[in-house]
Amino acid sequence: MPDVELKPVSTEHLLRECQREEVFITGSEAVREAIRRANVDIAVAYPITPQSESMHLVGDLYAEGYIRDYFRGENEFAVMSEIAGAAMAGVRVFTATCGPGTLRAFENFPMWSGTRLPIVISFMTRGINSPLTIQPDTIEMGMLLDTGMIMLHAENAQDLYDMILMSFSVAERTSVHIPVGVFVDGFFVTHTRQKVKIVSEDVKLLPYDPTHSPVPTMDMETPPFRYMRDPFVMKSNYISYAAHASWQQEVMAAAERARPHIEAHLGSFVEQENPDAPIQVVACGTAVSQGREAVRMAREEGLEVGLVKIKVLRPAPREEIRRALAKAERIVIPEFNRTGWLAREIASMIPNNDRIAAGPRVFGGMTMPPEVIVDVIKGDVLVGV
Amino acid sequence: MERYRVVPGPEGYLPPAAALHGVELPLPGQGLVEGSRVEGRTAALAIAERLVSASVPTFFPGPLLLWKSTEEALERGRLVREIAREVGAKVIPMPDYRPKYPMIDPAVEINPNHPNLTIWFNKIDVGVFIGVHCHQANLALKIIRGGTSCFTVALCAHEGHEDANASLRDTDVASLTALLDAVRIVKQGGE
Amino acid sequence: MSLEITRMNPHFADVMPQEYTDLVENGPFGRDFGARDLGSFKELFEEHPMCAGCNLSLAFRIIVASLPNPADTIMVGSTGCNSIAFPQLALHNVHSLFGNQNAIASGLKRGLALRFPDKVKDVVVVAGDGATADIGLDMTLHSWFRGEKFATVMFDNEIYANTGGQESGMTECGEIRNMAPTGKKFNKISVANLAIEAGCAYVAVVTTASPLKISKCFEKAVLVAREIGPTYVQIYTPCPTNLKLKSSESVSLAKERSKGTYQFREHVSPEAEEFLAARAEKTEEQVRVTSKDEEMHSA
Repeated sequence: MPDVELKPVSTEHLLRECQREEVFITGSEAVREAIRRANVDIAVAYPITPQSESMHLVGDLYAEGYIRDYFRGENEFAVMSEIAGAAMAGVRVFTATCGPGTLRAFENFPMWSGTRLPIVISFMTRGINSPLTIQPDTIEMGMLLDTGMIMLHAENAQDLYDMILMSFSVAERTSVHIPVGVFVDGFFVTHTRQKVKIVSEDVKLLPYDPTHSPVPTMDMETPPFRYMRDPFVMKSNYISYAAHASWQQEVMAAAERARPHIEAHLGSFVEQENPDAPIQVVACGTAVSQGREAVRMAREEGLEVGLVKIKVLRPAPREEIRRALAKAERIVIPEFNRTGWLAREIASMIPNNDRIAAGPRVFGGMTMPPEVIVDVIKGDVLVGV
Repeated sequence: MERYRVVPGPEGYLPPAAALHGVELPLPGQGLVEGSRVEGRTAALAIAERLVSASVPTFFPGPLLLWKSTEEALERGRLVREIAREVGAKVIPMPDYRPKYPMIDPAVEINPNHPNLTIWFNKIDVGVFIGVHCHQANLALKIIRGGTSCFTVALCAHEGHEDANASLRDTDVASLTALLDAVRIVKQGGE
Repeated sequence: MSLEITRMNPHFADVMPQEYTDLVENGPFGRDFGARDLGSFKELFEEHPMCAGCNLSLAFRIIVASLPNPADTIMVGSTGCNSIAFPQLALHNVHSLFGNQNAIASGLKRGLALRFPDKVKDVVVVAGDGATADIGLDMTLHSWFRGEKFATVMFDNEIYANTGGQESGMTECGEIRNMAPTGKKFNKISVANLAIEAGCAYVAVVTTASPLKISKCFEKAVLVAREIGPTYVQIYTPCPTNLKLKSSESVSLAKERSKGTYQFREHVSPEAEEFLAARAEKTEEQVRVTSKDEEMHSA
């Protein structure tokens, strides 16, 4: 058991009012420090690089008594189902995966949203096969955009720590009650040491209260006793179609309702530096850090460049992006993947999207030197579509 | 573009979830009327007016009220029946959420997957949901808005419902007593 | 107390539809009904849309009636014909995905164990042969390896019935089915042997030819899973629709198979044996005490 009795406090209190201490830790350790205070009941783990270390450390928390149950599942599809079963029973859960694991587990994610499960999961993003790679790449994020889950993208270990802790209160709200994915670029953040301000060790989040669920918890303690969590509405008639459609709309509505609660913790979905500059670099994750350095370098050369950091991908930051890019003449979108899903997202949100230079893009584990971004800022190189 | 208003239907083939058109939930102390945040008291009076002037007002108590016999549930049940009596409303239960098979008897029950059948059959023009889980309530509210002209009211125990034409976010004994008072005030010709 | 949620708010008793009043007044919650009493009480599984002569629905009806503690039982199904039955079940139940039933149940059982440490919460998985032995085999086996404390029931109709009669791993070798146009090329998977090897404390293989045997084995499986470890019951449930049998012929087929290639088997681990013996003794003791009481009363 933990040495000290942990005092349960609200998320607001924990994140805003508790005293913080600066430590020099890896991203994986930041996951551990967040979960230490998250009052998680059950965590299920399965190894995959570069996620594994995070869930080892969560396992250590179980051994220390911070988590009530923990085990290694048989594969990611099973793990996501085990986590779902536990969430249906009305306990707080956590897991993490990445890349090929995400794809192996994929069928579970829309099921989580559809059955209104407030699961918090972290993705330490990684490339996918073939050929085999274990290196950082955000391609899986583009594939998860339409699974119904809320998606936050951490730039660094500090974001990761704060986003994991805030996610439980967003996910568990009655009007929301859908999964939250906290994404972080594998290796770049998980395996590097950074300064992170963490709150004192004597507090934890208030427990999850399943009686506030918008659907009955599967415990035979919640009316009605005659109840299927995910009923079949698949007869071949309009009534069944309308019920299924209405159900899906409700899941999308749940993500919309999360907006004020995400804002309450993050301040805003996007952050902007030099908003009046005619050239704007738009990025999320560690591409923001590279973009920030590129902006500094370009400004040193006398170019007027701004930076937009996207923290929330779902619900989509439509209005925020439209506002941030209203006056931009040229929009540069650096990404750590081959598909350019972020550029596609931005293109769907703004008028005159021929302003977008959809690059640079690196993948397969390549780093993104800021010089490469500067080249695109200057328009010296062609970028993909 | 004009602000989306959550008014009675029939709205069409597949009405949207109001939240996807920018309708936000009421803040503590508030209610919603046709998608706008108003003071809780104003919402209660608007609901009372609808109930009093309706031809076939109907209460739809859900599982959270029907399958509980705690002291609080009993008192809430008593108040719902009293409000219903006061406005001459029917009481048609929603005992559970499973789609009815082979078919529903719309005279005696309502189901969140096909609530329109019960509304149509009984020619209900004002329907009040209470004690229904939020997810299932929202399914019912959207389907009713799509295919019927019924004015829907959601008395929620949590955060309220954008998909109802009017909604309160509290349904404890005090809130139901306040709604009963509002009904009596409206019946006597208003404040 | 979960029996609480089977009680009505008296302020609405006058408007509740008859079927719910029946469930409360004549249902099995808090009462000692079993498969022997079928027909004399309001069942928790009714009005299902299964085909005439469906043996799966017969087996489903028997096991639901045989639940030792329905008021505290949560069931997990999977995709297939049983997922058409499940919505008609008057207990908390989950469909989830095709094949993940034992993974869902693992999380569910552990979550309930944390929330209700002083209470018995039975979790029961019921899935078809495709879900259990093919697409979900890894999760079936791993839940057993881990010693998860719930019962797994396979309804074995030896085909993918709901999708139109395709070959499954449980189809007998040589049978011609959809997707096995020249006959199945490998043997029926012996899931029962796998269950024993994987550490199941109780394993039974039965057919719809003997409903009371199903009931008895299933009840043992739930009780042993509660106290000792994972259990498995495999029930042969021939599908008249896909086998093109008259509805009355499907049970005859089960009878025939039960004498040949689908014979009754039971495996009870020493621990489970001891537990069941102690329990039987206790029950006998209770019966003795009760009949003594009755004698005294009548005297």
